Amino acid sequence: MTSKTQPDSVSMAAMEKVAWTELLVSTTAIIFVLILLPFLGHGASSAFALLGAVLCSFWFIRRRKKGTIVDERDLEIEKRATQRGVEAAWIFLILALIVVVLWPRNNEHNGFVTKTVLNWLIWIQFAIYVWVRGWVGVISYRRQIRVS
Amino acid sequence: MTQQSLADQVGVTRQTIVALEAEGYTPSLALALRVAQLFRKSVEEVFWINE
Repeated sequence: MTSKTQPDSVSMAAMEKVAWTELLVSTTAIIFVLILLPFLGHGASSAFALLGAVLCSFWFIRRRKKGTIVDERDLEIEKRATQRGVEAAWIFLILALIVVVLWPRNNEHNGFVTKTVLNWLIWIQFAIYVWVRGWVGVISYRRQIRVS
Repeated sequence: MTQQSLADQVGVTRQTIVALEAEGYTPSLALALRVAQLFRKSVEEVFWINE
C-alpha cells in the first residue's frame, strides 16, 4: 500500500487465537497420552478426550457488537489449515493401517484390525488433524505479519 | 487514519490491514477495490505487484 495507517499495538486476530488453542490443546492431549501410556496401557487413549477443550475456542469468535471478527484472510488460512490437517490425517491412517495389517503379530487376529487398534487409530488421526490444523494456522498468521 | 478505523470501513480485521501493510497478504479483488475506493484512488495506486 502507498501510505501506511497509524499502527496500533499488535494483537492476535480471533482466528489466530483459535489456531493457537488447537495447537496447544492437541499438544497437551498427546503429551498426556504419552505420560499415561506406561501406567494405563490402552486406557491412556481416554486422555484424547482433552481434545474436546478445542470447543472452548468458540469463545474467541463469539459475536460482538462492533468490528469484523472473521474476514477473507481468516477464511483463506482456515481453508488451507483444514486441507493440510485432512491430508495429514489420511496419510497417517493409510500408513498406520498398512503397518497394522502387515505386522506379524496381527496374524493372531487372522489379519483383522481389532477394535482396540481402531480406537487408537481414530483418536491419533483426530489428534493429528487438530495439531496440523493449528500448526498451519499459527505459521500462516505469523508469516503474513512478519514478511516486511 | 488508524488501522482499526480502516479495517472497520472496509470490513476486515485490523490484523488483515497489518498483513497488507507488511505485504504478507494479497487481498481479494473486492477488498482491493474497497480500499482504493475509500482513499479515492485507483487500485494500481494503492496496490502493486512486487516483481
